[in-house]
Amino acid sequence: MAECGASGSGSSGDSLDKSITLPPDEIFRNLENAKRFAIDIGGSLTKLAYYSTVQHKVARVRSFDHSGKDTEHDHEPPYEISVQEEVTARLHFVKFENTYIEACLDFIKDHLVNTETKVIPATGGGAYKFKDLIEEKLQLKVDKEDVMTCLIKGCNFVLKNIPHEAFMYQKDSDPEFRFQTNHPNIFPYLLVNIGSGVSIVKVRLSSVERVSGGAAVVETEDRFEWIGGSSIGGGTFWGLGALLTKTKKFDELLHLASRGQHTNVDMLVQDIYGGAHETLGLSGNLIASSFGKSATADREFSKEDMAKSLLHMISNDVGQLACLYAKLHCLDRVYFGGFFIRGHPVTMRTITYSINFFSKGEVQALFLRHEGYLGAIGAFLKGAEQDNPNQYSWGENYAGSSGLMSSSPELCPSQRARSGTFDLLEMDRLERPLVNLPLLLDPSSYVPDTVDLTDDALARKYWLTCFEEALDGVVKRAVASQPGSVDAAERAEKFRQKYWDKLQTLRHQPFAYGTLTVRSLLDTREHCLNEFNFPDPYSK
Amino acid sequence: FPWFGLDIGGTLVKLVYFEPKDITAEEEEEEVESLKSIRKYLTSNVAYGSTGIRDVHLELKDLTLCGRKGNLHFIRFPTHDMPAFIQMGRDKNFSSLHTVFCATGGGAYKFEQDFLTIGDLQLCKLDELDCLVKGILYIDSVGFNGRSQCYYFENPADSEKCQKLPFDLKNPYPLLLVNIGSGVSILAVYSKDNYKRVTGTSLGGGTFFGLCCLLTGCTTFEEALEMASRGDSTKVDKLVRDIYGGDYERFGLPGWAVASSFGNMMSKEKREAVSKEDLARATLITITNNIGSIARMCALNECLNVVMCDRVFFIGEVKTLHMWINLTEDKHGYYLEVEEKNINQVIFVGNFLRINTIAMRLLAYALDYWSKGQLKALFSEHEVFLT
Repeated sequence: MAECGASGSGSSGDSLDKSITLPPDEIFRNLENAKRFAIDIGGSLTKLAYYSTVQHKVARVRSFDHSGKDTEHDHEPPYEISVQEEVTARLHFVKFENTYIEACLDFIKDHLVNTETKVIPATGGGAYKFKDLIEEKLQLKVDKEDVMTCLIKGCNFVLKNIPHEAFMYQKDSDPEFRFQTNHPNIFPYLLVNIGSGVSIVKVRLSSVERVSGGAAVVETEDRFEWIGGSSIGGGTFWGLGALLTKTKKFDELLHLASRGQHTNVDMLVQDIYGGAHETLGLSGNLIASSFGKSATADREFSKEDMAKSLLHMISNDVGQLACLYAKLHCLDRVYFGGFFIRGHPVTMRTITYSINFFSKGEVQALFLRHEGYLGAIGAFLKGAEQDNPNQYSWGENYAGSSGLMSSSPELCPSQRARSGTFDLLEMDRLERPLVNLPLLLDPSSYVPDTVDLTDDALARKYWLTCFEEALDGVVKRAVASQPGSVDAAERAEKFRQKYWDKLQTLRHQPFAYGTLTVRSLLDTREHCLNEFNFPDPYSK
Repeated sequence: FPWFGLDIGGTLVKLVYFEPKDITAEEEEEEVESLKSIRKYLTSNVAYGSTGIRDVHLELKDLTLCGRKGNLHFIRFPTHDMPAFIQMGRDKNFSSLHTVFCATGGGAYKFEQDFLTIGDLQLCKLDELDCLVKGILYIDSVGFNGRSQCYYFENPADSEKCQKLPFDLKNPYPLLLVNIGSGVSILAVYSKDNYKRVTGTSLGGGTFFGLCCLLTGCTTFEEALEMASRGDSTKVDKLVRDIYGGDYERFGLPGWAVASSFGNMMSKEKREAVSKEDLARATLITITNNIGSIARMCALNECLNVVMCDRVFFIGEVKTLHMWINLTEDKHGYYLEVEEKNINQVIFVGNFLRINTIAMRLLAYALDYWSKGQLKALFSEHEVFLT
């Protein structure tokens, strides 16, 4: 995907037009101590990653052992809460359109204070074109990294660290999104990346024995092999779509497709047989020949119908090939990534349908919540190999992350009103690596939550309202927990606004952060409180 | 008499007519006028109405069929004109001949009622796949006027050295049959009575023709192919070298491979710079590549699962050099298994391939290239009429 809008040498007149109207410090947060950058430049979107540290208060509890002491001292509290300043490592990912790249780079350069970084790993088709610009603006050397390697690294990382990262999409079920619990052993799996073209990759874990410091160490490494592909992918959809409908933008094409009737353009089984083909078990409304009707008639076809037909054509073809490869390699899970999907429901639906059809339900089509970021995550990990990020556990920070489909025009017209769309993902490094509780019989099927709010609409309404109503109380407590602080009230108000917005997002898009549970609502609240330095509102 | 075989497809109707040459004097006297006029009409014309065509070059002479000697004629017309055909049947009093019209294809079901009510003709519906398999075996057994029915291309990529050579279908089974009509059906044939439909794809001849019409404004299939022969698809498609500046070594993809069909059309300038011929060619290449890809995967899958899928007959368009660009199984060992099991030939059948020599050559090349000579693309002269 080497098609990019802005050229490397944008004049300053251009960048004024493309100035970011959203306050940039809300997008590029914690830049002062940023180190380790990575960038993934695609055909139209850029993803920038950086690692930074966030200083915030953490409430630590120290409990005292009074058992042996004499009773005179038993007025002493059994525990003590001390608030300390701590530093958490956080990964930031920002997604924005290529047209803003220069303005963003300028902003970053201006705010970068402490950094020893010399190098920025870059991946994606656009890394070529913007190499000079990046080197000039950020004064960093660009290290080109292979796209697929980054994608796989990113994919493995999110599947391991982010709960409910993968999901199935069934348009007519309720709920539409079915999030998968993180399987402890995800390997081997098939990854189908639908970019301009399609790449089908098998990802395995392999053990490699290394000699390190005199001792033999067995390390597992993710290995992947390219097993096949197709030239009929997102580029075909976009290219043919542009030629047939004169629509230039990818998202507009998808929008047209969602409103079209492909049966006007495609030749169905019933058009040939007058009904179903019973002997072969082919139902009448299956597509026998894509665009089969567009040759014989001398009429015009609507843009919507042609776009829909194209979408089906490509989704069915990719699905079919994916199934053939999955069958050959005896895999039953296929993860889909790439710009063709972008979390668009209509695409996910057609692909899921295709996989179900061609595999007769044996293969599952899975999508990733953070699919767009995989390249940037991978590039980052490649550059940060020395820091060994894989030995830590990472968690999604709900306060800082935008959530799934926050930029989908069908769902969030209000968010579209911002100029340009900036999507964020933030991940905090946890102090200790998380492991499954050893007492669990079967960690992969264990679900700690009793209610699934993405599933149960009534319960969801109840709990969201519950948290909304409780907000006032929490704000008050937060302020009260820090009597000595001057700006506590101000910060508390910001917290209130932030958490309120999150709750509203969840009302409209309950799937935004994966499965919605009471636990995740509590976690979100905690992340928001932490963001405004209220580590423990109940401490006083 | 008259002996007809009809295959009513989505876009085209294929008619096979047996012209008896050994009519005795007695038979001639008994012959009904209408039968005589039908025979005369069919054999003395090469075009019927405005759209019917008899492929004279495919005529099989001196054939023995059910104890009679005669010539087999091959006629085709668009399914669109089916009502006109039925009307003609009525006008020429076909029904008085008490003949059974054997028909297959989707249209046999769709038009059954019309045949009955308008033409007063009873159709004997036969299973399409059954006919396809029997047809291919029959046609090979009778040969083509002394020559072999099946052929393949030697040196398909080289315009000068490319040769069409005969191939003898000694041991046909098991084979993978790919039928390319408006859509594509893929069958695994294990013996003459044991076969199954493996899968199909909706990206077939109808797609090629439909897209061409929309993109170039052409009106006939021949026109579309003719345009394609003059075009340059590399202007339309995005190749590996367009993205990586050369080969993509990590995946073993050569720079000339197509990474994204129509990928260059995302850009406005490039859209304005391509010609209709380029677009037609790109469409041809995209569809063929895809069919080849799927056929190959099916061959691999069937082979590994069931029986040695020995031959995959290609009766189809060998359209592009780039066809199996993405299938580098040979690099990863899967092909070795295939080679051992001797997957040899793939047959593509269907109207799509009718006159597409370029395509056929290109397909052969790709097959050969990726399979390192193991897979041969075989073609059948009578590809269209096998059912």
